[in-house]
This record gives sequence, structure tokens and C-alpha cells, in this order.
Amino acid sequence: MSRTVEPLINDEYTGGPPTKRVLAHLQEKRRTGMKIAGVYCGYAPTELILAMGIAPATLCAFSNATIEAAETVLPANLCPLIKSSYGFIITDTCPFYGLSDAVIGETTCDGKKKMFELITDLKPTWIMDLPQVPDQEEAVANWAAMIRKLQRFLETTFGAHATDDAIEAAIRDINRRNAMMREVFEFPAGRPTVVGWQEIYDLTFLAQGSSGKEMEPILAEALWKLEQRRDNGYAYRPADTPRVMVTGCPVGGDAEKVFRIIEEAGGVIVALDACSGFKPYMTDTAEGTGDPVRALAERYLKIPCSCMTPNARRLTEMTRLIEKFRPDAVIDIVLQACHSFNIESHKVGEHVGRYHGLPFLKIVTDFSLSDVEQVRTRVEALLESC
Amino acid sequence: MRAGGLDIGSRTVKFVVIEDGRTVLARKALTSHDPLEAARTLIAGIQYDVIVATGYGRHLLKEHLDCPVISEIKAFALGAKAIHAPCRVILDIGGQDTKAICLNESGEMAKFEMNDKCAAGTGRFLEIMANALNYTLEEFPKAALSAEHAEKINSMCTVFAESEVISLTARGASRSDVALGIHKAIVSRSTALLKRIAPSGEVFFAGGVALNECIRALIAEDLNRPVVVPPDPQGVGAFGAALHAQKVGAATGGNNETVLR
Amino acid sequence: MSDYTQMWSDLGLDLKGHDALLSVLGGAYQDIFLSQKNRPEGMKYFDFVMSEVHGLRIKELMDAKAQGRIVVGSYCVFVPEELILAVDGVSVGLCAGAEFNFEGAEEVVPRNLCPLIKSAFGFKRGLVCPYLEASDIVVGENTCDGKKKSYEVLGPMVKDLYIIDLPQMKSDSGRMLLKEEYRKFMTKLEEKSGRKITAENLKKGIATVDAKRQAVKRLAELRKTDPAPISGLDALLVNQVFFYDDPTRFTSSVNALCDELEERVKKGEGVFPKGTPRVLMSGCPMAVPNWKVPFIVETSGAVIVGEESCVGERGTRWLTGDEGGGVAEMLEAITERYFKIDCAVFTPNPSRVDHVRDMFGRYNAGGVIHYSLQFCHPYIVESGPVEANLEGSGIPVLRLETDYSQEDSGQIKTRVEAFLERIQGK
Repeated sequence: MSRTVEPLINDEYTGGPPTKRVLAHLQEKRRTGMKIAGVYCGYAPTELILAMGIAPATLCAFSNATIEAAETVLPANLCPLIKSSYGFIITDTCPFYGLSDAVIGETTCDGKKKMFELITDLKPTWIMDLPQVPDQEEAVANWAAMIRKLQRFLETTFGAHATDDAIEAAIRDINRRNAMMREVFEFPAGRPTVVGWQEIYDLTFLAQGSSGKEMEPILAEALWKLEQRRDNGYAYRPADTPRVMVTGCPVGGDAEKVFRIIEEAGGVIVALDACSGFKPYMTDTAEGTGDPVRALAERYLKIPCSCMTPNARRLTEMTRLIEKFRPDAVIDIVLQACHSFNIESHKVGEHVGRYHGLPFLKIVTDFSLSDVEQVRTRVEALLESC
Repeated sequence: MRAGGLDIGSRTVKFVVIEDGRTVLARKALTSHDPLEAARTLIAGIQYDVIVATGYGRHLLKEHLDCPVISEIKAFALGAKAIHAPCRVILDIGGQDTKAICLNESGEMAKFEMNDKCAAGTGRFLEIMANALNYTLEEFPKAALSAEHAEKINSMCTVFAESEVISLTARGASRSDVALGIHKAIVSRSTALLKRIAPSGEVFFAGGVALNECIRALIAEDLNRPVVVPPDPQGVGAFGAALHAQKVGAATGGNNETVLR
Repeated sequence: MSDYTQMWSDLGLDLKGHDALLSVLGGAYQDIFLSQKNRPEGMKYFDFVMSEVHGLRIKELMDAKAQGRIVVGSYCVFVPEELILAVDGVSVGLCAGAEFNFEGAEEVVPRNLCPLIKSAFGFKRGLVCPYLEASDIVVGENTCDGKKKSYEVLGPMVKDLYIIDLPQMKSDSGRMLLKEEYRKFMTKLEEKSGRKITAENLKKGIATVDAKRQAVKRLAELRKTDPAPISGLDALLVNQVFFYDDPTRFTSSVNALCDELEERVKKGEGVFPKGTPRVLMSGCPMAVPNWKVPFIVETSGAVIVGEESCVGERGTRWLTGDEGGGVAEMLEAITERYFKIDCAVFTPNPSRVDHVRDMFGRYNAGGVIHYSLQFCHPYIVESGPVEANLEGSGIPVLRLETDYSQEDSGQIKTRVEAFLERIQGK
């Protein structure tokens, strides 16, 4: 980072993994007596959890180190994110899991579904039954019912409560947060971009479990700094650097090797179309509907995760992002053994190629370093074709 | 009664003859491209009353000799238990596969786990890497043990690991450091297999790769559990097959021709 | 077999590829089934069905279509045959048990995917499955991730793909979802067939399918004895033919087979010697012509005495029953019946291990072989707790994960042999 540019978040965690900052924030909340609920997924209704005075903590782990322990129980041929998360739990080394008073999961993919069965006895756990066909007439009503059931579970487990008014207030608060995050995303849409993926991650990782009120000062400062950068003609990378949009599975921790490779190969990441990036902030919940839980259900079912079928929204969202961020290439990052994203990648590639005429690359990888050179070769070849 | 056990592995053939429970003959040869011929040559002229075959090539031999066969898992279980009575957990790293076997209180085979789909982490892996680093199989562990630190090998696949080794040495990494890295890679794969079925307890370590002193040291270090290595780790399977032959022979009066499955 | 070339050509099959498939199938059938000793006479019917699997049966389908009846192809036991019969349709299970044209499949779906799914695509893209090509509706279902997303790719390739959504949890809302999906499926069937589902024809449909189930349940019971009167391979074949033969003819053929087996049991006659190690298979379904693992098991000195699998007892254990009433009541009964199926896509899935344990006792088995198709996450992850649970109650378990290729037959055989050595306590 250039000396003339101040980090968007300038604290003792700057430059390190974004999860450290998130942990510190959670530990502070714990100190104030707040209850913490571990979540695994972008479908967990943050608004409800916050409205009940509970802090959500993301339990998805991206470390290769705990996978060996996980593989003594789980098959090796399984998503590294699932193995890593499970490995942390059975070695009792996950600080987020350790902090959590309860765990919320969803029936997203098969791997997660069956892994949850192995941990339900360890802490109070609630698995939400997520609809697989969001366009079904009853899907919204069904998911709304599930959100209410989650509410009951949290009431029973924590003695916490939230009125519908409180949920409505949380909706507005999170909408505000998301709107500010989208303002941040305007900046990598510019050419040249004034911000790199690491700083985006600093914000996306922190914002996920935080309220709008908490994020407001942080985002306001970040936005001000971003404006300054732009106005001062700062470029994170030269304007003619090939612009890359990454899509697919959540990417963090040891999987960030792919992002580093992209930059080392001379590219710059301008859009992060995954739950670890932009996705949680792209949709708003309808306000003032009189039925805030139903409004939440409707909003959450719009998330274009590959566990949904037929997930047409993935392509429409992708088009929207491509038109806004104008990448020169699209890279679909699929975690090993993830059938949903892997199968869907075929139609994503077709769409990106045929409809947008952009070079496309699917990368199937894990958290180890064994395939770094192979990934590098592919990414270099892709950027050469830009 | 002389009972013979023949273990036809993918790399070596081992033949053991026991009499009254004691080994009176033990030999081995390279399997080469013709396991049947290698086996025939190995047992030619040796007197035995009953013979049992095990290993990768057991069914091939069965057609020729019409002898009973047992799986190499059972053979190893029998052999290990006879050699080391308290034995409950066996790790066998062979020429082309790795096995972990758990015995129950009565010494019978209870659980097992095998890796026989991938040569990485087996004797073959050691051979290829020794060659790539220009060591003989005898020099290889010595070099590894002399290293100050290990070069981490990231590739899972034998073929790619070979490329990785070459590029490491081309970049100036010390041969012995790379040698140690290779040995560590084998050990971590084998112990991962073992831990899936036996998270604790003393380990009986056998198979051809147990002849490698660096592997022996690293296994003990990695597992942090007692590790027992028999005097002839490579012959445990053949010995176990011979023990089974002894049992079969005792039941049928020792006539090879009347022995059925 | 008569010359069906014209019929196959009319269906749009690739005749060259189809011939290749049939000859491989024929050879395999000879080696695996016809080489068995002491088979019941009643198996001759099933040998005949297999010899005409792409011939006579297809002709029957074509004749049915000519009469204005619809052919409905499906891939999963969650698709209610009762409803298809109620509109006078023909229900066929679609082939997905051979490693054929995987290159073609891998152009549209990833290589690291369940062989059952790849086989379905291999057949489709190779244009070698007359059942698929003859289907007026192809029914898919949201069961596992692989299938769920693969149907998105299959959709444009077939005439009319209809997806039934399934619940993932056995809750009240899950039951309601299933019932609603079945109701929608009824509407689809009525639209496509031009016939209305009435209490009368639905009642008949239920009776026909329940009779089929009763017959195979009878067969299952007869395998309890030692020596087993029929091989696991033959019983598997009967369970596979269950999915695409004419229901009434199938039922009477199975009952005739059972009559013969009852005689065998009385005489103590079996296909293997008394005392042969007895194995229960549990796990993923084996679609025709996937006979790989049972063949290895039964040529290694064991007999398979039961299958806790969708092509097997999990698919046929329950009857829909006839409590009377109208269509609404029958739909309720159908929903209730199918909702019980304990496939590993459900979370949690506690009844499955109980069924395995129950079958182990009932069929006097000595060990359980847990069979997973490669890359099948639900069954592979579930196999861990299932194994631990069964071993904990003293039931020996061998976990296998494999595909359709012959590559690993040697390795599978080694594991099976070691397992048999263990359960025999030799």
C-alpha cells in the first residue's frame, strides 16, 4: 500500500486477516454481556438475531490447518470449508465457536447438512429448513415460518425477545448498512479502482455480523477516505490492469491464495460476487410492510446461492455486476467437492462467454498449497487472453 | 510339518516357511513384470507340506498352485499378533499401498483402512524421489536424517511431487532438506490413515518401508505413541500366511492337495 | 430378439452406440447372471425380460403411446407410481447404472460427480436409452445437490422435464411440502395425459403398486433362511426390474418365483452351501446394469441376504394401503407412505440405522457392507455415524465407496475378502 494512502480501517488489525478484527469486536460484545449465536451462512437472518440483542458470529473456517483432524471423521473428498469448520470444532480451537452460546445452521448443501448432524449435540443448535426452490409460491411463506421458528428457539435458549417493531427497526438499520456498503462498492467499479480486495474484505467481514449503527462511523470514514483517494488520482493498480470479477464459493483465509495469484499475475479484482464479498449487501428488505418477518423471508430468498434451483438469479445478478464493474475476465472459484457450484459453473461460463463475450475460467481448489502453480498457470493464461 | 506362506506384493515377493511355529526359511525377490514366474522361482525346490498365498498376486498363484489364499490384511494381522502378542494396531507401508489394521481384544482383525489407489505415501514414492534426488535407497534415509530442516512438499501426487522436488533443488534447496521433506510427507499421509481408525495406542509398524530408519524415527515422533518394528518388517505378511498354512495343515493332515478354500 | 432397428431408429437412437451398449450388456449378463449355479427356474422370466429390455418392453411402451397413454420416466423412488398409473400412464425407472459415454456427460457436468448422474447424461447425450427417448415426461426430483443442479442441465435436453421438490427435513412443514408437490404432480399428469385422477382409478393404482411391493417383500422374507434359496444378485435383479416392467405381469412372476423358493426352503435347498457368510448391503441404490459389487461379494464366498437401499427394501418396505375415501384421503395416504423413506438427503435421518439393524437381525446376516457411490456426500458422510452405531452394537461393517468402472475391482475384492475373513472369525 502506498505511503500516501491511509487504510480504510486503521487499527491494530490493519494488514492482517480480517477475521482477527471481527473476533475482537465479538469479544468486546461478549464482555458487555451480549449473547452470541454462531452462524454458517448468508441465509441466517441477521436482522432477527440483532433485533433480539444477540450478536451473530460467522463460523465458516478457511484454515487448512484443521482439515487433517476433520479427516479422521469426515471423508477427505468433501468441501474444505466444511472440513475446516468441523476440524476447528473437534479440536476445540475455534474462537468463534468457543464464543457462541448457540449455533444456527441451514439446510443449504448436502455436505453442511450432514456435518451439522455431527455437532448438534455439542451446543444448542437450530437447523433452519431452507427452501430449495425460491420461485415456488409457498417458498416465502415457508421461509418466513422458519424464521419464526428460529425466533422461538432463540427465545427459549437465551430468554431474548423481539417485537415485530424491533425487527422492523433492525430491517431499516441493516438496509442502511447495506446501502453504505454499496456506496463503498462504487469505488472498485471505477477505473482505475482505488481499493483492493483485502480492504474490501476488511469491511465485508466486519459488516456481516454488525448492525448499521455500529458500521456507520466506520463506513463513513472509509467512504471519505475512498473519495479522497479518487479525488487525489490514486490508483490501486494502473488503469489498464486487467479487471477481474471473482464469483462462486465463499473465499477467505487460505483460499485467498487465488486472489494473491490473480494479483501476482497482473490482474486486479474489482468485484467479489460471493457471500464472503458483495452478496450479503446487494439486496434490501422491504420496509414498512406490516409483516417484517415475511419481508425478511422474501429478501433472503433472493440470494442467488447455488443451493437454490434453478437459480436464474445468479445469471441476472452476474449481468448486473458485469455491467457495473466492467471486468475483463470472470473467474468462478469452486471449492473442491462442491457439487452445486461446480455443476452451475457450466451455465455461468456459457452466460459470461456468450452473453458478455468475456473470457471465463473455473478454478476448483482447496485450502492447501499443493495446486498453487497449476492455478497460477491457468490465471496467467486467462489474463493473457484479455 | 512345514508350512509355507507366500506374499506376492506389487514390488517384492516374500516366502516364509515355518516349522513348529519357528521360521526356518525366509527369502524375497523382486516381483518384476511376471509375478507368477517370480513366485515359482522363489519356492522352487523348497519342501513344504502346505502353502498359503496372500498379497496382490494371490489369486494368480491360486490358479497355478490351487492353494488357499487369505487377504494381506488377515495375513498381516496374524503375523503381527504372533510376533508381538500385545499388538492391537498395525501400520503397514508397502511398495504400492498402505494399510492400517485394528485388532480386537482376542487378536482378531476388527477394522482396517487401506490406501491402494494412490502411490503417494508408499515405497514407490520413496523410490521415485530417491532417484530424483540422486540417492540410493540406502543413502536416502541417512541424508534425510542429516538434514537440519525439512523442505515442505506440497504436491499430493507422486508425479507432481517429483517435479516439485526437481524445482526445489534447481532453486538451490539442499538435497538432504528435500529428502527430509519427502520422508515427512510419507509419514503424515500414513499417520492420517492410521488415526482414522486408531487414534491412540501402541503401533506395530511393518511393511517394506519400515526398513527405512528415517521413516521409523518420524513415525514415532509424529504419532507420539510407542512404535514397535519387527526384525523383518517386510516378511510379516508371508509369516502370517505361513501361520495360516500351519493351521490349515493341522486341520487337514498336511496334504496340500486336499486343502480346499 | 426380433429386429427392432426400425423402432429404435424412430425413437432417434444412435444405432451404432446402442448396439455397442447392448453387446456389452449381453456379455456382462452372461458372465454375471447366467454363470451362477443352481438358479431358481423362476429367474428365467427375468432373464427373458433382460434379454428384451430394449426390445419387447419398448414395443409395449410404443403401443401404449399409440393408444394415447403417456410414458413417465423417473430417477427416484420418491416419484409416486400410484399417480402415474391413475392416469393410465406407464411408469419407467430410467437407466443410470453403466459407465457409458462418460466423455459426453463430462462435457456438461463435472467429472467429479456421482456415476449414476453421469450415466444418465451419458445415455442421453449418446442417444442410447429408448426409455428416455420414449418418455413423454421425465421426472426429476430435488434430492441431492448433484441431482438437483444436474436437472438444470438436463432440462433443455429432454422433451418435458418436470421437477418434484422434496423436503429436506422430516417435519410437519416438510410433510406439507411433499403433499403439495404431489398435488402439483397430479395436475401435471392430468394435463399431459388428458385424463382425470378419480377415486376409482387412484384406488386401482394404489392396489397395483402395493401388490408389486407385497411380492418383493415376500421375496425378501424368503431370503431369511440358511441356505439362502436365491442369490443376492438375482434378488437385486428382481428389485431392478421392479422399476420398468409391466406391474401386473411383474407381480405374478415374482409370486411364482416365491412359490418356487418356498419349496426350496422346505427342502433346505440353496444357491450356496449352508453356513456361507451372509451379508446385508446398505446405502446408495444400484441402478441397472450396476452389478459390480454384488458380483464381487458373491464370487468371494458370501451371499447377500438383503438390501437396505432404494433398489431394495427402502424402496418397497412400506405399502400405501387403502383406507378408502376420496382422492384427498388417498393423496394423504400416499404422502404419508413416501414421507417415511429414509434417504440420506434428509437431516436428521435416524430411522435408517434402525432399519439396518433390524434387517441385520431379521435376515440373520453376519455383516453389513455400506455401499456409497463415489462423490455421494449424503451417504458417505452418513456412513461414519452409521458404522460407529452398528459397530457399537457388535455389528461388523465394511464401508465401500466406488463407481461403475472395473479399475478398482481388485481393491474392492481385497476389502471384501478381508471383511469376510473377519465375520467368519477364521
